[in-house]
Amino acid sequence: MSGGNIRGFSYLENLPPITFRRLYQQPATSLAIFRRMLPNLAKVIVTTLLYNDKPIPLADLEALIRPESHRQREDAFSKLRRLHIIAEAADGISLDPVFKKNFRLALTGGGSHHSFGVPCNTPDKKNVTVAFLDEYAQKKFESILHFMVGTHNDTKPGDGVIELLCIGKLMERQGKGTQATITKNGFSFLLQEGNSQIWALLIQYLDYAEDLKMEKTDVLHFFLMLGSLELGQAYAIKTLTLTQRTMLTDMRDYGIVYQRKASSDRFYPTRLATTLTSESGGLRSASQTMDVATGADKADDEGKGFVIVETNYRVYAYTNSPLQIAVLNLFVRLTTRFPNLVSGRISRHSIQEAIKMGITADQIISYLTVHAHPQMRKNLVILPPTVVDQIRLWQIEGERMKATQGFLFKDFTTAQDFEDVARYAGELGVLKWKSVQKRCMFVTRHEQIAEWLKRRAAGGKR
Amino acid sequence: MDGLDASAHYTQGPDDDKPSLLVLILDTNPYAWSQLHPVLPLPRALASILLFLNAHLAFSHANRVAVIASHTREAVFLYPSTTPTPPTDNDPMRDANKYRQFRIVEDEVQASFRKLMAETTAESLASTNETMMAGALSLALAYINRLCMSSEDGQGGHTGGNRTANGTRDADMTTMNARILVLSVSGDLSTQYVSMMNSMFAAQRKKIPIDICKIAGETVFLQQASDATRGIYMQLQHPESLLQYLMMCFIPDNSTRKHLVPPTQINVDFRAACFCHKRIVDIGFVCSICLSIFCSPPEGAVCTTCSTKLDVSDLGNFGGRPAVVLAKKKKAKRPKQPKTTSSFSNDVSAPASAPGTPAT
Amino acid sequence: MPRAVKGVLVECDPSIKAIILKIDEDHHHAFIVEDLDEDHLVVKEAKLAELKERLEKILEKTQMMEKDDDSDPDQPG
Repeated sequence: MSGGNIRGFSYLENLPPITFRRLYQQPATSLAIFRRMLPNLAKVIVTTLLYNDKPIPLADLEALIRPESHRQREDAFSKLRRLHIIAEAADGISLDPVFKKNFRLALTGGGSHHSFGVPCNTPDKKNVTVAFLDEYAQKKFESILHFMVGTHNDTKPGDGVIELLCIGKLMERQGKGTQATITKNGFSFLLQEGNSQIWALLIQYLDYAEDLKMEKTDVLHFFLMLGSLELGQAYAIKTLTLTQRTMLTDMRDYGIVYQRKASSDRFYPTRLATTLTSESGGLRSASQTMDVATGADKADDEGKGFVIVETNYRVYAYTNSPLQIAVLNLFVRLTTRFPNLVSGRISRHSIQEAIKMGITADQIISYLTVHAHPQMRKNLVILPPTVVDQIRLWQIEGERMKATQGFLFKDFTTAQDFEDVARYAGELGVLKWKSVQKRCMFVTRHEQIAEWLKRRAAGGKR
Repeated sequence: MDGLDASAHYTQGPDDDKPSLLVLILDTNPYAWSQLHPVLPLPRALASILLFLNAHLAFSHANRVAVIASHTREAVFLYPSTTPTPPTDNDPMRDANKYRQFRIVEDEVQASFRKLMAETTAESLASTNETMMAGALSLALAYINRLCMSSEDGQGGHTGGNRTANGTRDADMTTMNARILVLSVSGDLSTQYVSMMNSMFAAQRKKIPIDICKIAGETVFLQQASDATRGIYMQLQHPESLLQYLMMCFIPDNSTRKHLVPPTQINVDFRAACFCHKRIVDIGFVCSICLSIFCSPPEGAVCTTCSTKLDVSDLGNFGGRPAVVLAKKKKAKRPKQPKTTSSFSNDVSAPASAPGTPAT
Repeated sequence: MPRAVKGVLVECDPSIKAIILKIDEDHHHAFIVEDLDEDHLVVKEAKLAELKERLEKILEKTQMMEKDDDSDPDQPG
């Protein structure tokens, strides 16, 4: 994930196998992981395997994919391996039996797992509309963001939220009892799109929950279940586990679920919840989530955009929202403030300061694009290309090195050996660097190469 | 601290996969299904189809489906149906075991399918054994157009936003990738030739692949449709394992297909049907003005489509060498000869323009 | 049989590499696993963060980032 040290959804990939096995026991979770965490190609592989009773040899599966797309193929298989969805045996690849069973169950329905939430069909005393839920979620989440930049809203987020922000190093307290202030990570967090922000908080919560002796899988089940609920529908609390009931209180503070009273027997997921497992490329684009989350001035009848960027790097923002100004201030040197307008310049200095905080050029550009003034939208290219290019160049300027994790292979006995392995690594798309003179190479992943070497050694002896 | 390390900034892959819309056309011709009954009863096929739809929906939150039945005399939407059926049972426990979106699609498809079958009486079947494939295709295209257009109005500006920043605001601002899948059980209907071809070209223009899952029967036009739109054509060897075919070959969406080796394409039959008697012809006559195809010179030498007066007096050498060899050269690589055409011309345009096959 | 060593491949220009070599030398070769060529080397994974930090400190000292003139060029005065 981009954005410095904030862990996003991809953090889940590093969970131990046993956690995954437990997660796959719920059809809703299997479905959510399938949908949210796999690239499309991997999804196709899963469906191909899903109704095949016999394992399929790896070579046969790989033959389905064009050789030019080896990078995507590698990516798909490595994701599937990392999530422990596929099991490899001598006779080929098959799906993890638990995943297979429950994913099938998710597609066909049936069973008695109740993992998709039990709706409450008795009418609620007070009608809860989608519009109300949207407003509620926005208000809650916005209050967190406002709190982070230090604007004092009438609604202050709950103590649990503040605690979590501090633990996640998004904010810090100088001393005991003092006001918490935002950190570099926190700024970079502000620039992320809504869905990543929520996940960043939830992942933080996950760690925190473990300290409180809550069952990690239980917590995750609940997150992923929230994503498969229907907006505007009430769900019964009585089928939730004890852990999940405790979580409900916290989720309410984030604006993820709505409960009228703590003693209420039902809860309503908000849009923040139901989009948890949708991918950012979905219909609800990143910008919209952002607008929902940051509540870009809805009252503004001009629409959501308010930023004008000129080719001479000057920026004018028609806003008086402290949150928006604080965000802009991350990468624009603001000079003047009027009641409804702030203006300033983008400079090398201001951009590099932002990059030091872990904000990327792409984040800045996408922020400016998303919030471009309607007047700017009339142009075919919304932002002036010179400014966009320059922001990118300023980012590259500071980058003096590139680090890639992986493995160094050395001590090849013969040049032939070296050449063969290098070619194989190249085909897999894992080769980063090689030197014929030194007979060594650097690869990003070694499992397949090691296996290949073993197979070759065995073949050679025969 | 990561200011000087470039790697963090580039590891994030571009995630611009658009959601995909699948329009499934189910051939519900009762004759064909009754013949198929011993191998693949219709209810079982329907169950497989629903499972396949669920899998498609499972791919992405934003994926959409539509199901159209190509029945004997009409083509109707099974989902989304025009008259939403109220949920039959309200058991919350049942709801809890099924993803809501799946349940909605399933209930509605099944309800409207039952309705369709109930409306199909013996009399209504007596006069015909056709299937309204052309109608269903045009319904599908209209639906795709409407859905992609309407989402364009609402959100196009925003979703395109990120790409615009890179200065590559591409022409296709459609927010969805659409494709059509036809589950066909009956043979071709040459009466629908013209409308079929029109739908096919519309799909080709809109870059909508038409996939054909051929369970039974023999079709020339559907083959051509999938070939022209770069869809997948598959003749099922074992209709009983429909589900496996669907889940393996037809599940990938348009963007994923770029990475996949397409299932082997059989040789496409490029023959056309004549406009006068709806016969499939190897050799025919082509109007030099509107390129209508006839199996024999039309009566009174007047083209039935464009009413041009045709000069058929030069047709003395009919049956000899075709007057135009252009089409033949072009298709020389194809194993099956598409159609040689002898052209009859009128005085206005003496050198007949290449009477191409519809596929050119 | 070839050997595999876990590490982080660092790509940088020769000037930066020289600094990294210097840091390594000053710290009893605690960072570098293998020196590959003039713009590639492999360092220990656990030490990467520390290396970056040290490198940045040195760069801050040696490189004079030209002061950004925050005054507006278009603005008279």
